[in-house]
Amino acid sequence: MSAGQINVITQLFKKLIVNGVTDTLSRQTPCVTQVRNMSRVKRRRTVPPFWLSKTTRTLYPENTTPENEAFVSDVIASQYSSPLRSDPWERGHWTEKSHRCGVIARKIGVYPMWKKDGTRLLTTLLQVSDNHVIKYIPPEELANTYFRQKLNRNPNTAGLVVGADSLDPRQVTKEFHSLFSESGILPKKKVTKFLITPDAKLSPGTPLYASHFRPGDYVDIYGVTIDRGFQGVMKRWGFHGMPKTHGVTKSHRHGGNTGGGGEKARVWPGTKMPGHMGRNRRVHKGVKIWRINTHYNVIWVHGPAIPGLTGSYVYLYDSHLPMHKRSPDNPPPFPTFFQDEEDIEDELYDENLHVFSDKSIGFAETK
Amino acid sequence: MQPFNRRLFLLFLRSHNHVSKRLLHKQRITNASVQKKRCDIFDKEAKRQAALITNIEKIEVNYQGQPEDCTLIMNKIISTPYNCAQHLTHAILERSVLAEVNGKVWDMHRPLEEDCTLSFLHFRQADPYYVNRAFWRSASIMLGAVLEKAFKEQLYVELCSFPSPNVRTGSFVYDADLKMSDWKPTKEELRTLSGEMVKLSLANLPFERLEVDAKIALDVFADNKYKKAQVPYIAAQSESGNSVMLYRVGTFVDMSRGPLMSHTGHMGKVSIASVHPIEVENGQLLRFQGVALPKGFLLNHFSFGILEKRAEHLNIGRVPSLPVVDNLNVKKQGIISAK
Repeated sequence: MSAGQINVITQLFKKLIVNGVTDTLSRQTPCVTQVRNMSRVKRRRTVPPFWLSKTTRTLYPENTTPENEAFVSDVIASQYSSPLRSDPWERGHWTEKSHRCGVIARKIGVYPMWKKDGTRLLTTLLQVSDNHVIKYIPPEELANTYFRQKLNRNPNTAGLVVGADSLDPRQVTKEFHSLFSESGILPKKKVTKFLITPDAKLSPGTPLYASHFRPGDYVDIYGVTIDRGFQGVMKRWGFHGMPKTHGVTKSHRHGGNTGGGGEKARVWPGTKMPGHMGRNRRVHKGVKIWRINTHYNVIWVHGPAIPGLTGSYVYLYDSHLPMHKRSPDNPPPFPTFFQDEEDIEDELYDENLHVFSDKSIGFAETK
Repeated sequence: MQPFNRRLFLLFLRSHNHVSKRLLHKQRITNASVQKKRCDIFDKEAKRQAALITNIEKIEVNYQGQPEDCTLIMNKIISTPYNCAQHLTHAILERSVLAEVNGKVWDMHRPLEEDCTLSFLHFRQADPYYVNRAFWRSASIMLGAVLEKAFKEQLYVELCSFPSPNVRTGSFVYDADLKMSDWKPTKEELRTLSGEMVKLSLANLPFERLEVDAKIALDVFADNKYKKAQVPYIAAQSESGNSVMLYRVGTFVDMSRGPLMSHTGHMGKVSIASVHPIEVENGQLLRFQGVALPKGFLLNHFSFGILEKRAEHLNIGRVPSLPVVDNLNVKKQGIISAK
C-alpha cells in the first residue's frame, strides 16, 4: 500500500460515521498528499469490522407450547410498553459551536414538488422510523474508544448512539441485546453513532422524530450507493465506447488502449477498467429540506439522487458546510424537538414551496 | 563422647513428620481430602457388596417399548436397566433418563433384582413428571458437587441438604455452610459456578447408586456435621430401617432418596442464578439457587433470561431444620400407571 493510498483512506475515514462502539486502535497519521488514483482506493468493506457484534442469530425450532410463546410475547410487550420516557438529564442550550445528533431514515420514494414560481423539482421522501437514543458516550470515553486517537479533532466531542426500527429480542444475539439494556428499548435493526458536543446530549430511550429538523434546513446525508455489481467501463467510468458499425470488431463497449508504452511499459496501477461498481459510502452535503410531515415522520429532501435503493437506510445530520451554518436568529430545536411534550402541525412546508391546498392562480372579477 | 552419627540424626528429624502431619490434619481439613476419603469408603463398600454375589443367576426382563417388545435374559443383582438398553438401540440408550421397573421408577444404574417388566422414561414423553423430578433432583446433587469443588482450598464447605424437588418454585436448590454467611457473589462469580456445572455436564459422569448401612454412612459423612446428624433419621425412614442411599458423581458422594438421572450429560443449559442467606436453628446457611434445561431443549436467550430472573427470587422450599430432613421425608416412591 503506497503512502498516497493510506492518505486517501485516512481522509475518507475522517468523513465516516462509525457504527457501534469501537475498540481501541491506534494508527500513525502520515503526511497528506494528493490523491491521484481514485480507482485504486479500497472503497468498501467485504466483511464487517471485527469489533462489530453480530445482530441476528441463527433461528432454530424451539418447540415451545403456544401458551409459552404467548407468555413471552406478553413479557416483551409489558417490558417495553412505555414509549414516553421522562428526561431527567439537563437539556443543553444551543451555541454557535454546538453540534446536535442526527436521525436515521429510510428512503421511501421520489416524487416531484413545485415551488411557488412554478418550478418543478424532484424530492426524495425519507421516513424517520422508530428512532431512539441508545447510549450517550462522554468525551473521555469516546477518546479511548475512537480508533483515530491522533485525529486532529476537538477533544470536547461526545458520541450519541442512535438506533432505528425495532427487532424482536428473541431474534437477536445476546451480545447485541445487551447494548440496549441501559436504554430499556427493544433492539434496533440499524445502529449508528453521531458525534456531538456534550451540551447536545440526550438520555437513553429518548425518541427522535422528523420534527428534529424544519423545512428550509440543510442536511448532510450519508448513505451507501446502489450496488450495481460488475460493470463495464462505459457505465463505470463513462467511457464512450466505439461505433456499432464501420468495421469495429467485437469492441463496441470495450475500454480500448490501456497504456502508452515507452520506459514505464506496463499498465499503470489505477487504470480504469471494468469491475465492481456501487455499494460505496457517500455523503451528500448541503441537501435542502422542503417539507416535513410530523404525523408520519416523513422528510422531503431536494433531489432524486440520495444514495441507495428505496427502502435502504440513510443518516441525516445538520450540514457542516460553512454556508449553511446555523445563526443565533435561526437556532435548531436543541438538543432535539420533544414531540411528546410540545405540539406541532402535521404538515410543515418551506416558504418557497407551493402547497397544493393553497390557491395557485386567481382571476379577479372584471366588470 | 560418642561420634555424631549424621544419618541417624536426620532420620530422627524426619520421624517427627507423623506428629506434624497429625497436627496439620487437625488444623486443616479440605474438601478434596474429605472427598477422597468418601470415595475410598464408597469403593470399598461397593466391592464388598459385589463380592457377596457368588453365583450368577439369570432373570427374565420383559422389555416394552421401542424398537420392539422383547424378553432379555439378564444377570440377577448385576445387570442394570442401562445394560438392558445397551442390548437395544443407541438412540434408546442416549435418551433414557429413568427406567420403569414393575411400575416403579428405577435408576438406570441400579441393579435389577428379579424377573420384571421394563420400560424407559425420557424427557420428551407425554407426561414426564417423574423424569422432571429426577432431573431437578440431579441438578441439586450436581450443584452440591460443584460447591465442594469450586471454592478455595482453605475454605471448607459443609453441605447441608436440599428440599424435595419442585420445578414450580422456579429453581433447584442446595443449602450449604460456607462459614461466611455475608457472601454476596458478583455476576462473574455466579457465571464461574455455572461454568463448573457445564463442565460437570460435559464430563458425562454416571450417577452411581449404593445402598449402605447407617454405620457406613456415618463413616462417610464423619466430617460433615449436618449430614452426620441427618443419617439416623434417614436410615429410620428407609424400607429396611437401617439403610441409606448413597450416590456418587465423579469424586463427589452424597445421599439422596433418588432416583437420579442416568448421567450428568443430560444437563443442558444451566445457570446458577442467586445465593440467599437463610436462618437455621444453629446459625446461618447459604441457599444456592439455579435453573436448568435438559440437553437438547433449545431456548433463545431472552426466554431463558425470563427463567433466570424467576430463579433469582428466594426459593420457597423448606429451610432445613433438624430432625426433619426434607429430601427424605416419609413418602413411598410413586407407582406409575400402565401406559
